[in-house]
Amino acid sequence: MAEPTHRPSSSSRDGGGTIAEGAASGGGAGAGREASTVFAVLAEFESPKALMHACAKVRDAGYRAWDAHTPFPIHGLDRAMGLQKSWVSAFVLILGLGGAGLGMLMQWFVAARAYPLVISGKPMFSWPAFVPITFECGVLGGALGAIGGFLFLSRLPRHHHGLFASAHFERVTDDAFFISIEAGDAEFDAAAAAAFLDQIGAQRVETIYECGKVA
Amino acid sequence: MAHVVAGIDPIEGRPALIEGGPDFHGITEAVARPMEWKPPLGWYIVLGISLMMLSLLGISIGWLFWEGTGIWGNNIPVAWAWPIVNFVFWVGIGHAGTLISAVLFLFRQRWRTSINRAAEAMTIFAVMCALIFPGIHIGRPWLPYWMLPIPNQMGMWPQFRSPLMWDVFAVSIYGTVSLLFWYLGLVPDLATIRDRTKSLLGKRIYGVFALGWRGSFRQWLHYEKAYLLLAGLATPLVLSVHSVVSFDFATSQLPGWHTTILPPYFVAGAIFSGIAMVITLMVICRVAFKLEHIINPLHFDRMTKLLLVTGTLVGYAYAMEFFIAWYSGNLYEKFAFINRATGPYAWAYWTMVICNVVTPQLFWFKKLRVHMGTLFVTSIFINIGMWFERFVIVVTSLHRDFLPSSWDYYHPTFWDVATFVGSFGLFLTMFCLFVRFLPMVAMSEVKGVLPEAHVPVEDRPKAATELAVT
Amino acid sequence: MVHGKVTLHEDAIVVPANSVWRRVPLLAGAVGVLALAISGALGWQQRDQLMHSYLVAFLFGLSLALGGLFFVLIQYATRAGWSVVIRRIAENAMATLPLFALLFVPIALFGMDTLYHHWSHPGDDPILLSKQAFLNPTGFYLRAALYFVVWIAASTWFYRRSTRQDEERTAALTGTMQSVSAPVLILFGLTTTFAAIDWVMSLDPHWFSTMFGVYFFAGCVVSILCLLILVSLSLRRGGRLDGVVTVDHLYDLGKLLFGFVVFWAYIAFSQFMLIWYGNIPEETLFFVHRWHHGWEILSILLAAGHFGLPFLFLLPMDFKRNSVTLSLAACWLLVMHYLDLYWLVMPSLHHEHIHGDVLDVTCLIGVMGLFVAVFAHRMVGHKLVPVGDPRLAESVAFENV
Repeated sequence: MAEPTHRPSSSSRDGGGTIAEGAASGGGAGAGREASTVFAVLAEFESPKALMHACAKVRDAGYRAWDAHTPFPIHGLDRAMGLQKSWVSAFVLILGLGGAGLGMLMQWFVAARAYPLVISGKPMFSWPAFVPITFECGVLGGALGAIGGFLFLSRLPRHHHGLFASAHFERVTDDAFFISIEAGDAEFDAAAAAAFLDQIGAQRVETIYECGKVA
Repeated sequence: MAHVVAGIDPIEGRPALIEGGPDFHGITEAVARPMEWKPPLGWYIVLGISLMMLSLLGISIGWLFWEGTGIWGNNIPVAWAWPIVNFVFWVGIGHAGTLISAVLFLFRQRWRTSINRAAEAMTIFAVMCALIFPGIHIGRPWLPYWMLPIPNQMGMWPQFRSPLMWDVFAVSIYGTVSLLFWYLGLVPDLATIRDRTKSLLGKRIYGVFALGWRGSFRQWLHYEKAYLLLAGLATPLVLSVHSVVSFDFATSQLPGWHTTILPPYFVAGAIFSGIAMVITLMVICRVAFKLEHIINPLHFDRMTKLLLVTGTLVGYAYAMEFFIAWYSGNLYEKFAFINRATGPYAWAYWTMVICNVVTPQLFWFKKLRVHMGTLFVTSIFINIGMWFERFVIVVTSLHRDFLPSSWDYYHPTFWDVATFVGSFGLFLTMFCLFVRFLPMVAMSEVKGVLPEAHVPVEDRPKAATELAVT
Repeated sequence: MVHGKVTLHEDAIVVPANSVWRRVPLLAGAVGVLALAISGALGWQQRDQLMHSYLVAFLFGLSLALGGLFFVLIQYATRAGWSVVIRRIAENAMATLPLFALLFVPIALFGMDTLYHHWSHPGDDPILLSKQAFLNPTGFYLRAALYFVVWIAASTWFYRRSTRQDEERTAALTGTMQSVSAPVLILFGLTTTFAAIDWVMSLDPHWFSTMFGVYFFAGCVVSILCLLILVSLSLRRGGRLDGVVTVDHLYDLGKLLFGFVVFWAYIAFSQFMLIWYGNIPEETLFFVHRWHHGWEILSILLAAGHFGLPFLFLLPMDFKRNSVTLSLAACWLLVMHYLDLYWLVMPSLHHEHIHGDVLDVTCLIGVMGLFVAVFAHRMVGHKLVPVGDPRLAESVAFENV
């Protein structure tokens, strides 16, 4: 039973208020500030399994600027969300090989060019003695690549995020599972999105407003 | 990412990793409790003692800098003694954290989640202790930057053919990568503390270090990949670090030091001693901080099996060294090893053998593998044995060198002992602060191994591509 | 959750009557005997060459069998669930160990005058005389007998129980094998180490390295992993093991292969670097022989081919999950493993110049023909998968992404 692959129609802009409760508390985001722009619609789900099935439906509905939020990584959720594999490995490979190359180059330069000394009758460029540091530099490069790649691809660190306006959202680092649909696309319709999330089994749906900006 | 089906094993009824069936929130509560409650009196006592030992370290180093390395017992022929023994000892302790976090991760040993955080913290503190010793051993402690390849007005560069330079890189990079690995694992848990803490200052501090983490699964995907790759990098790194430490000895021509099995033998010994230290600390912490259901007998059973394996590997290396020394037909090789076992340091040699090879044999018995009293005592014995292993390697190989006229017997001085005891002060102080201010169990990982976190394959929705086909 | 029983289709776990595998034992056995006879006839006049070529081939086959024994033991010792569906292939490999006791006979008969003539005729060399307590023919024979007794006893004991479990389906057998596996691993480690010392290291009796046993062991594990990959892939091509051995199992074998390639390189480099750095004459000679007169080509080839290339090739996840690339890597590494053993053995005969001989080929075909014959005989005689293993369900459902 496939879901339709177009966005839900934007017919019930006014009627959605019964489903979407405003983000009444937390962070000073405008409770009842009708004029504020909607930042996102946030829905809480009961369990990893419920979340995974809801994610598959959001994916099939064709949303783009959406995300799942969980206290721990759930295996299989990447497929349910239709995510591509992470490219952190490319960062690690390039920086790792680069680190190793620089390590060997540095030792060659120091031992054979800048400061040539005969040590225990070995050649100036005695590569077997340079392997350990080359390896260590490669690992250092790779490790920096892993951390750097993760931070870059995740757009972290960041000072603030609109979802933190929700008081319920604090439990995402404890035991709660969420889906957020952000007002990223031009066709986004808060009420329709809220209705859709409610329909696919959310326990609670709330609309989060962007603070400061007025429509 | 690799994971196994959360089944019950038909042979052993593969037991639950976490006892008592807590839910996700229960894990958060249990782990966050030590950071939110008033710490127990015991914590203040241990911290107080640790701080006293730490000040002993400060005094020892201060006196050393004032008076010079003559305050130590090191002298020809035993020019390398306690400082290098302590360095190797601490680097070795620092190997268990990465083993548990990275190697067991790659081998899909999910029980590691209860202990990996504390073991990684222990690794970092042990590497800090280790780095002190070469730093203060160089004689002119204001010049350690000469070990780094910094362009300078003297036109002078480090000597990269020296294994001691390899050590500088290996240990400092190991420290850095361990710190990155540990911090990456901490990010989601720091976010948990950020979201729980009531104090504004706490929210700020934990908030800054949590990097704005919001549990986004798009970020989790990169996070898990980065974690896996760091584990893949840390695994050869952990092997290389103690191998490089062993090269300090093995590249020489000294009988007793120059032997090709030294790299894997040192690695096995390092893991052996590190796991013993983890057991010592965890036996105490689980009781002190009421984490008995998270760090339970299952974890000790697994760790002691690792002790048995690595202890046996160490025994294999002792035997191979002895056999090949005899087989080589080289008089000096033979003498070095017979002197170890029967010479003036025979007491140290047999302490080492009994602690490292005989003690772990107790763990063939399941009952002893989970008996906390036995574990506590044997893990301390193993650490004593592993300290003596380095002492035996360093001192017995040196004290009777090729010329009998220069043979001597090495005695440590008060300041040798004080510096070593002081380094324990640093280690324990750091550990006390860690258990008070950071989550000592990786909450997000433990939650991930609870049965309810797993969505079985048959219960999962279809992939997008399969839908497109129909 | 996956509990209890899975039923596997008979097609997947039995070699059918018309399969080509059924004809392999006889065919390969005939080829093997013929090739060994030809080797004997060709090499009778140049017995040094014959015995060295034969030793390399013998060690190549033996390392597969010992690797199989190790693989089986370590799976029981670690209570591994994922590997159950491929364990039988390793069991068939270890079940060839009695064959190697037979194949050892020529080494026992002619070894003292050819391979080991340095130490069996020590003359007045003081170093060799001081080693007489260990390196003497009687001790050599007794130790060889002991190694084979341990290996054959262990492999037969485990093979019998595992195949009996196919019928009886009792979990208790697994429990027994688990508790026995750890002590047997210790025996395995010691016997393999000393076999490597006796049969390979003593070819150059002045030379010694404490690492040598570990080096030989690393090669054994690399070779059995290659064999497991190749056999399970070829069975899959023939329509067997369908839905039983999946890409997830092969991925794990690929990861282990990658890991042990790196481990081999670590051991090889450490051994080389420490000896190079120490530069003590009696140790360095081993590498001097392998760095002159053409042997340096083989040394470089091993560094690149046994480590560099497969390291890069097996690095991407997709290459370990693809049957073509994975079997390519496995074939390549088997060749490299043969060359590694060749590199260990041959320079002690031909250190003046690198030399390949037709006997190398005939001996290899002979030993491997017999190995394949016994291996295939075991394979067609039993189920392809230990169907009675209580962890079978876990293994079949294994998922590894």
